[in-house]
Amino acid sequence: MTDTAGKQDPSPLDEFSSRLEAAQKAVEPNAEDPNATRGRAMGKGFRLGSELLAAMIVGPGLGLLIDRLAGTAPWGMIVGILVGFAAGIRNVASAIKDDRAGGDDGAT
Amino acid sequence: MLRTMAAGPMEQFEIVPLVPLTMGGVDVSFTNSTLWMWIALGVAIVFFGVATRSRALIPGRLQSVAEVFYEFIADTVRGAIGPEGMKFFPYVFTLFIYILFANILGLFPTIPGLPHTFTTTSHIAVTLSLGLLSISIVIVYGFYKNGFSFLKLFVPSGVPVWLLPLVSLIEIVSFLSRPISLAIRLFANMLAGHIILKVFAGFIISLMGAGGVIGLISIFPFIGIVAITLLEILVAFLQAYVFAILTCIYLNDAVHAGHH
Repeated sequence: MTDTAGKQDPSPLDEFSSRLEAAQKAVEPNAEDPNATRGRAMGKGFRLGSELLAAMIVGPGLGLLIDRLAGTAPWGMIVGILVGFAAGIRNVASAIKDDRAGGDDGAT
Repeated sequence: MLRTMAAGPMEQFEIVPLVPLTMGGVDVSFTNSTLWMWIALGVAIVFFGVATRSRALIPGRLQSVAEVFYEFIADTVRGAIGPEGMKFFPYVFTLFIYILFANILGLFPTIPGLPHTFTTTSHIAVTLSLGLLSISIVIVYGFYKNGFSFLKLFVPSGVPVWLLPLVSLIEIVSFLSRPISLAIRLFANMLAGHIILKVFAGFIISLMGAGGVIGLISIFPFIGIVAITLLEILVAFLQAYVFAILTCIYLNDAVHAGHH
């Protein structure tokens, strides 16, 4: 939808904004501190990793607790591992979605 | 023996009781961890006390910093929860400032003769307490505001009925994993950063000890340690911010349960 609007007739204003964008892109990498970029990327990586890990701790843990209370020996844990893994993937997916929605405008 | 020269990279995380205390059979000693929590608290109180003392219309340097902190967190809360979320501002601000000051203070080198610098946020006991506190507020406020319709959080819309038990189970596990992921992230970041700093510092000492031409190579880990220290200052800030904004996102679920 948006790309057809850009294609039809490039008014001077559109053209200017695209040129401005290109110029800003060209300047940004130089202005940005490489340490800051690395730190943010590390933060993102840690976030995704910890989301997955946390669900994979909680799932089997909950399963073991049910096993201990109800005496359903291995089944609680087995189901817990599977559910924990699914919840971990769901966490990661929603974390990425948050990241996309939040965009890089406010945070950066 | 070797302890005097190259202390292990994990030694900095050791909890040392300064004033041994027991209360009803429970060990509640005043430890170095307690001391550094108090220092973080004290520094925060003194900083904001001094910064807001003059209350000038045109802020001075210190007051500007305090105002930047205030506006930064206020924008975060308003952005994530909306204007009605400002009643949680005091909590989120306290959380952010405490974590930020604890992280930054942990980066200071030890002054000889004084107790070792200690990063309280590098212990999972501390970060998990903060995470559980955040999620408890979400649960209590969620039920207080929405009653039992708060449980709609675990029932995503547009899911076929036969799949609902499984999806709800996954949502519940996902919800319960939130405080743990908050805790692991902060603690792992702080732990990893401080271990790397210590290991690089160990390289310098070993290379200098070798002497001669090999000693000259120690400039490389030295450059590395400077770069990593800068990175760690950024990580200290970033992790405090991440903890605060995720608390806001979770609080948003409690405030706006049912319609999203």
